[in-house]
Amino acid sequence: MKKLVILCVALMLVLLFASCGKKEAKVEPQTAVEKVEEPTPQVAKPVLSEEELFQQKSLEQLNKQGILAKINFDYDSYSIRDDMKPILEKNADWLTRFKTSMILIEGHCDERGTIEYNMALGEKRAEATRNYVAALGVTPERIKIVSYGKNKPLVKGVDDASFFQNRRAEFVIIKK
Amino acid sequence: MKRTALLILFILTTAGLRGQQEITIRIREGMPMIPVALPDIQYTAASLKDDSARDEIQKTLLADLDFSRIFKPLPRDYYRYLPPFNPQAINFKDWASVQANVLIAGELEISAPDRLVLSVKVYEVNGERFIFSRTFGGKKEFGRLIAHRVADEMMKHFSEKPIFTSKIVYVSGSENEQEIFMMDYDGARPTRLTFNTFIDMLPSWSRNNEKILFTSYRRLNPDLYLFDIYSGQSDIISAKGVNYAADWSPVEDKTVYTSSKEGNAEIYLRDMQSGAEKRLTFNPAIDTSPCWSPNGREIAFTSQRNGTPQIYIMDAEGSNVRRITFEGTYHDSSAWSPDGSRLAFVSRIDTRFDIYVYNLKRNEMSKLTENAGRNENPSWSPDGRHLAFTSNRGGRYQIYLIDYDGQNVKAITSGGENRMPKWQKSVK
Repeated sequence: MKKLVILCVALMLVLLFASCGKKEAKVEPQTAVEKVEEPTPQVAKPVLSEEELFQQKSLEQLNKQGILAKINFDYDSYSIRDDMKPILEKNADWLTRFKTSMILIEGHCDERGTIEYNMALGEKRAEATRNYVAALGVTPERIKIVSYGKNKPLVKGVDDASFFQNRRAEFVIIKK
Repeated sequence: MKRTALLILFILTTAGLRGQQEITIRIREGMPMIPVALPDIQYTAASLKDDSARDEIQKTLLADLDFSRIFKPLPRDYYRYLPPFNPQAINFKDWASVQANVLIAGELEISAPDRLVLSVKVYEVNGERFIFSRTFGGKKEFGRLIAHRVADEMMKHFSEKPIFTSKIVYVSGSENEQEIFMMDYDGARPTRLTFNTFIDMLPSWSRNNEKILFTSYRRLNPDLYLFDIYSGQSDIISAKGVNYAADWSPVEDKTVYTSSKEGNAEIYLRDMQSGAEKRLTFNPAIDTSPCWSPNGREIAFTSQRNGTPQIYIMDAEGSNVRRITFEGTYHDSSAWSPDGSRLAFVSRIDTRFDIYVYNLKRNEMSKLTENAGRNENPSWSPDGRHLAFTSNRGGRYQIYLIDYDGQNVKAITSGGENRMPKWQKSVK
């Protein structure tokens, strides 16, 4: 009997200790996960104004882009064709808007003609183009002209379409 | 020397000339050429032997004589059967038997491998008469030049202007790669004169043949430059606008050229010593391509004052302007013949560009090139018997020579593009 009592006491002690040990390792129960975030500010992707683009780009980029379109001429002629006038009006608008810019108008000829006469004809084409643009309100001091005669054809062909492309006045932006 | 002038009349209908009266009369002035024999040049006893050097001299001399229209080298077959030539003991009967009128006996002494001395003795065969002798020496590389000097002496002794040591200045390359070159009249020995990546174009000679006037874009504007060939110095002589087509007076140091420095293409006269300039044309049309008459009293030029580019002549002061061309709608690039009697220029008839020669005494225009590609920029030889011009008849532009009567057309350049020839106006 005594033996049984001792066993019982021992067992209780063991249980007691066991429960005491368990109590020491107890962790606080988990609460709900908190979400961490903040609202994305609604910033619009920047759209540069033409003015900003103009400031940003190099002369080379501007010219490559062909902002100012070229015009073509009739054979032997340096008068502005009616269908080229809207192009010049558009170019003049741009020049009026970007008042600091300076441009070079290059006059070119097709290969049919003498070198000498084409030098003068190319200049007449550049001059007629400058005069037209100046009449639309662009200060002529902002426009330089040069003639390349038939030195720099745009295309190599020897058909009428190629010759037409080569008889031209080109606009080159030389200062922003 | 018997030389009878003959006139051969050729009546030919040219398909091109505008309007209904399509008949052009071409008059060929010819004279019988002098038959010349040039037996193989002999080596002197002391000489080294260098057949390639000797052959170069011999071939060059023969080609010069053949080109001259004064001399006619006899075919070598004619004297193949004659006894070996001995310059010390000439049997004139032999040479008379092959119809030679003139005999050129040459002796070559090569004293060192790169040194040549050529002595020539020239005889009149029928009279067994000595005409002249000359001796020229130089480095082997100047063999062609030695031959040209002999040919020039032949011209002088027969009262003709020497042309064979003359040079042609021209432009080689296209678009941005145009550079100025010069070469012998026959296309040999090309020498590059300008080195840059800009367009250099329309070269012409100074009166002493030591300087070149040309237009260059090296300052991004077509400006006129004066370049000294032998010092390499180049000076810009224009400021603004297009500046080109300069022609130096054959009698004084004055140049006429086209400039738009005052806004429109006009012709200016520039004193090359003082730099003073005088404007010669005054109208809103294009005035361009001035060229001096050989006596320096008149200037031919192109003007578009009546709507289309036509050839005009004015006095050297700019007064007394008269129109020369009336037919056709496009004429330019006049070149005045050295004797003053003719103007060569480019005309466009329909869509063709050909070179025409206008006889100022007879008021007649004749066609020199025959509808083969585009033909441009005529320039006379110093003796007026030949012209250099540019043509794309063979595909790309090359420089050709043609005789005053349309004969003997040949290309003297090849490879790439070669254009805008200007022949020296004189040989010293």
